Amino acid sequence: MLNLLLLSCLMVIPFQVNVAADTPSNTGVVQNTGTDLWRQVRQRDIEIVGTSQVKSPGANVMINVSGQAWREYRVMTLIPKAGLIIFLGLLGVGVFRLLRGKIMLEHGRSGIKILRFTLNQRVAHWTTAILFVVLASTGLILMFGRKFLLPVFGPEAFGNIAIAGKAVHDYLGPVFLVSLTVLFILFVRDNIPSPKLDLKWIMQGGGMFGKHASSDRFNAGEKGWFWIASLVGLVLVISGIILDFPIFGQSRETMEFYLFVHGIAAVTMIVVSFSHIYMGTAALEATFEVMQTGYCDSNWAEEHHDLWYEKVKDTAGEGSQQQDDSAASDLHQQPSDTA
Amino acid sequence: MARMKFYCDAERCIECNACVTACKNEHDIPWGVNRRRVVTIKDGEHGERSLSIACMHCSDAPCAAVCPVDCFYTTDDGIVLHDKDICIGCGYCFYACPFGAPQFPEAAAFSARGKMDKCTFCAGGPEADSSSDEYKKYGRNRISEGKLPLCAEMCSTKALLAGDADVLSDIYRTRVINRGASVLNWGVSYDNIKLGS
Repeated sequence: MLNLLLLSCLMVIPFQVNVAADTPSNTGVVQNTGTDLWRQVRQRDIEIVGTSQVKSPGANVMINVSGQAWREYRVMTLIPKAGLIIFLGLLGVGVFRLLRGKIMLEHGRSGIKILRFTLNQRVAHWTTAILFVVLASTGLILMFGRKFLLPVFGPEAFGNIAIAGKAVHDYLGPVFLVSLTVLFILFVRDNIPSPKLDLKWIMQGGGMFGKHASSDRFNAGEKGWFWIASLVGLVLVISGIILDFPIFGQSRETMEFYLFVHGIAAVTMIVVSFSHIYMGTAALEATFEVMQTGYCDSNWAEEHHDLWYEKVKDTAGEGSQQQDDSAASDLHQQPSDTA
Repeated sequence: MARMKFYCDAERCIECNACVTACKNEHDIPWGVNRRRVVTIKDGEHGERSLSIACMHCSDAPCAAVCPVDCFYTTDDGIVLHDKDICIGCGYCFYACPFGAPQFPEAAAFSARGKMDKCTFCAGGPEADSSSDEYKKYGRNRISEGKLPLCAEMCSTKALLAGDADVLSDIYRTRVINRGASVLNWGVSYDNIKLGS
């Protein structure tokens, strides 16, 4: 009898539960209590942050919401656009070469040498230049290697190239900061913009269309490259160092942001460097030797940097005997030119 | 061909971290690398849920899309694997992955990243199946022995399932159907009872 009573009581309980569940607010449908939560997780409206026994950066985040955007940026935007911009940069240099050819000195060489870059300045320049070329090419391997080098070298060989490239890129990045700083200190004095003169130079297109534009030690184009290289270089180095040491708990979002910055800054500097490299090597007669030996021809100075030439022409010929014996003998024949 | 998938049932996961431990033990994974982890949201609050998360072996894997050296490949079973001989440890896969699966041991000077390590669905890597070379780089190859991933095999509540996607969805569908019918179900027994009414 007692057992039967207990049994009937037990049978009532589920019945009551069903009644309770069947309230107007919940019309008999048993909802998964996690529904809203999973909807949010699936749609990735919010970053689902929880807790985890694993303590590495981002380990407590269920879904990384920024990953897809970063993937699209890298694959759909950065790589194709960077490729196009670099191609256009090279094309621009090629077209300029075809239009103007090699630009010769109007009056040829005088044979009289003027000191333009000290040994310190040249060492700083070439250290930075070599580092830049190495960093840019190893960086470009990471950006375009999969598309252009992988099919040529095959996965094994290209893997080794990329591993070496990444190691070189990682270790030389911080060194670039040092050489860039030294270069900045050595060259900033003569690169401070002088609005009137620089504006005039730009208006004349830097003498690109015939008449030479007036310029001090560095013209507006060189100053532009100096400031782009310094400022974009600084952005590159800072973002690079943050990416270089992933041990300070940087979040994925931080790393994605600095990769975004680093890629754009790198492409900017590489494209602008094309003009500097071309102008400094093959574009103009008697130009490459200036950063090579430190001395420029007096006619070159007068033609390209007239205001600077006026200041330094008194020093013409000094200390150039070791550099160029023929220049020295020319000096003796034409002493009036150097006076 | 089967299409291998993980599924973690949040109504069953009890955050015991046994899957994490089993994975680390099975593959001899070093400190600081976790191929699998359990994330708990609303810990200690109403509606707390836990999920065991590892590489989900995406069909359109973001890691493979952003890899600068294209070291990822998908097996016939739909398992996403990678080649550590080619990997350069750049970390791009980790930034793109929705699940935070790629892991990096601190390998070189200045704590630079080593080769990426991630869940292999217990299927090793490109080396010969169950070779010592494969074990050293990728851990045990259970798939080649006809076994499923250990994390799911030893899950005490059978929250974590691993196997062919069709089989898993059948199991889960059955669970969902039966779940609403049980008086012991969380939603029925607790949420909807108004005590005293």
